[in-house]
Amino acid sequence: MKYLIESCGCCGACVAVCSNKLLELTENEIIIREGCNNCGRCEKVCPLGAMISEDA
Amino acid sequence: MKYDVVVIGGRIGGSISSLFASRNDVDVLMIEKRQEIGTPVQCAEGTTFSTFETLEMKPSNKYICTEIMGAQVHAPDGSTFKVEEGMTDGNILNNKTISEGYVLDRRVFDKYLAIESAKAGTDVMVKTTVKDLIRKEGKVCGVVAKHLGETIEIKADVVIAADGIESNLAYKSGLNSLKNPDDICSCAQYELVGLDIDPHLLEFYFGRLIAPGGYSWIFPKGDGIANVGVGVRNSTETAYYYLKKFVSKFDATPVELNIGGVPLSGPMDKTYNDGFLVVGDAAGQVDPITGGGIHITASCARIAGEVAAEAIKKENVSSMFLRRYDEKWRDEFEDNLKISFKLRKSFDKLSDNDMNALAEFFGNNNLEKISKLSTLKFLSKHPNLLKLLKELL
Repeated sequence: MKYLIESCGCCGACVAVCSNKLLELTENEIIIREGCNNCGRCEKVCPLGAMISEDA
Repeated sequence: MKYDVVVIGGRIGGSISSLFASRNDVDVLMIEKRQEIGTPVQCAEGTTFSTFETLEMKPSNKYICTEIMGAQVHAPDGSTFKVEEGMTDGNILNNKTISEGYVLDRRVFDKYLAIESAKAGTDVMVKTTVKDLIRKEGKVCGVVAKHLGETIEIKADVVIAADGIESNLAYKSGLNSLKNPDDICSCAQYELVGLDIDPHLLEFYFGRLIAPGGYSWIFPKGDGIANVGVGVRNSTETAYYYLKKFVSKFDATPVELNIGGVPLSGPMDKTYNDGFLVVGDAAGQVDPITGGGIHITASCARIAGEVAAEAIKKENVSSMFLRRYDEKWRDEFEDNLKISFKLRKSFDKLSDNDMNALAEFFGNNNLEKISKLSTLKFLSKHPNLLKLLKELL
């Protein structure tokens, strides 16, 4: 997934749905660990559109 | 560093857990990842009177913006019906959880609870992120935290995870916490200034074009100010897109943007483990229809704090003992949450026309006393709504 940090509101909705548990919300950004398979679950729940599928 | 109880998260779930643990004379540390408690707000800020009964606190004007005495529901076609104060708890529609209560200033309320907890003896660390759980032979016995780049190991007999929708700790403890995207309500909200609205009335708007899979809301805060927001599920456009669309009809100025995800999956199947409890949004302790969770979390967090303290005193922090927390909160809420989840599933299937028909039916009837004749007449026109109406009434 492509993470647009400037569009991120740091709500953590994406963290809850990541099927491989690769996401972590720190104080002011999302950290994505290696292994993302671009499944798009985080994109579906992001209120501000900060997560974009790579092939989109 | 060693504590009896370490609580992760400094919002209502964390502050209430730590408050009630500290009041029972155990050593408690609460860890908050942000440098300020209570910000950013990720909530429409409505709650019930029962929250304050749970807390045994007299509600204060310091954090109460307005008292709610009713709710108005807007159907997709614009027709409305009202649910007002004083109606009995006869069915889901005159459920007091939506028609009576307060709109809070969460920024002040959350901080107030953290201060109360600190006064009761809780130590608090802010700007400190928990990176991992310390586990020994499968049992949780502390956390690894980071503060200003420094890694700190904190031992604890019980860890309470109140770390919100973004929780990874329940998963790390071995519990299944993965949420389905269809069960997450994606929300965006403005605090708008300059609205001409009733300061004691909540408003809910439904419809595919307004908020697919959810609803839009106006929660007044007094003085022409309100939280105006939108929650959507399974939508191709973002919550923010629908928020902009919804607020375009108001001549009002936003002074704050809040966003968040609300778990509408119902609670996790298991909310405890050896040396470990999970509360609040992290545990899915949210009403799957309204998305409201403050009153539920308040009660669950109190139970978590009390059970953790009891476990420390009895020197038994095994999952067998901590299971009491799970049993106690389920006794209080599980039946209602299950009904609410089932209803949410039925609501998910409604078309805009179905919602219009339901709104007309409820608008034309006294909600406290819906007659069999009018129900039968309604169902002869809308037989597809039989199952839902049965669940509702």
